[in-house]
Amino acid sequence: MQIFKKIKLFFFRELKLFYSKITDLFSNILFFFLSIFVFVFALGAEKALMQTIGVGIIWALLLLSSTLSIRRIYEDDFKNGSLIIMHMGGLSYELIAFLKIISHFIFVQIPFLISIPIAGLFFNININEIIVLIITFAIGSLILSCLGSISASMNLLNKTNFSIGSLIILLFSIPVIIFSVGIINSNNDFTSLLNLLFGIALIFVGISPWSSASCIKLAIKNK
Amino acid sequence: MLLANNLSFSRNKVNIFNDISLSIGRGQIKQIKGKNGSGKTTFLKTILNILLPENGEVFWEGKNIKKNIFNFYKEITLIMDEPSSTKSLTLINNINFWKGFSDSTITDNEVLLLLQAFKLEKYIHTQVMYLSSGEVKKLELLRLIIEQKKIWILDEPYNHLDEGSIEILNQTFVDHIKKNGIILFASHFEPIITNLEIINFK
Repeated sequence: MQIFKKIKLFFFRELKLFYSKITDLFSNILFFFLSIFVFVFALGAEKALMQTIGVGIIWALLLLSSTLSIRRIYEDDFKNGSLIIMHMGGLSYELIAFLKIISHFIFVQIPFLISIPIAGLFFNININEIIVLIITFAIGSLILSCLGSISASMNLLNKTNFSIGSLIILLFSIPVIIFSVGIINSNNDFTSLLNLLFGIALIFVGISPWSSASCIKLAIKNK
Repeated sequence: MLLANNLSFSRNKVNIFNDISLSIGRGQIKQIKGKNGSGKTTFLKTILNILLPENGEVFWEGKNIKKNIFNFYKEITLIMDEPSSTKSLTLINNINFWKGFSDSTITDNEVLLLLQAFKLEKYIHTQVMYLSSGEVKKLELLRLIIEQKKIWILDEPYNHLDEGSIEILNQTFVDHIKKNGIILFASHFEPIITNLEIINFK
């Protein structure tokens, strides 16, 4: 099938782009760790306090550092017209948006998972909680990628003010934070909250390709 | 045959062009000429359905292109005035991307010969951001041959090119017309090509 060959080529290209921009990823992870240090120094090294607020802080900072990279999801390909070339090659904008979400999830969010256990050390979080944190972040980051795709495509229409895109992500990620921190803090109904988080992820995977695609189409018409 | 019927387009209630018809048969080359802001680029985009016209329709081989837009896109290479190469990828990665997305059957050896003709073969593993703007434009024009399409639509193809490259480009156009291809381009520059028809925008 031609279309699978093109999807393979798309991911191959994303991999090459990821390699050429790997310093961006490192600087995002560095941002994450430095902001953890800022928190640790600001709150003082009290063991009990660190354990109670640690998970919440790690989640909030993961959210903030992953918003740093969302701008690049569509911007370069939109500016140089690669999106039009992909579209003329037979991929609809909806499929392109879906593939971009998946590749952002694989190449930007998954590397963050490695940094979570190290971050857990600073807050003295036990190993069971770290495992749960990794599971919730794996699902939650998919939601963040979807939100990132929506806000990045909306930003193509908006040529001056980028911070408005981050506002959308922060606003819609409130339920993600509520459920994922809730999972870690409640020991008894672990699976039901995890199912809810899964449900939110599926809703966003369903919605975001279409809304991103319509924003991309509008942006191409107004270019 | 590519046929555009009474196309008109306006943006933000400002009329860009009105009632323009155009027909290009196989083996024909046409140039759109006009002042800055006369709507040349917009017209090219309207033909390709990237921008939706206010009135009028576009037909390819007797069928309205909107019925199966991907069948129409299969025949087209579009080159805009801004280069579409990805700056952080190497030359060969860019070429492989274009090759794969256009279902082209060109071999690696032929690509190498093309790069040699444009004197780009020494940059094959260099990232595009280190090339000069003329070299980036040449790389962009290689897409015409790499993608192996019937219809070529170009916007300002002569920008940034030196005299030698202009001659090669003109020769490429002539070769494509001989193979029953269709070429439509917009430019201020008037190249010396036999059978070139000029459409003047007001």
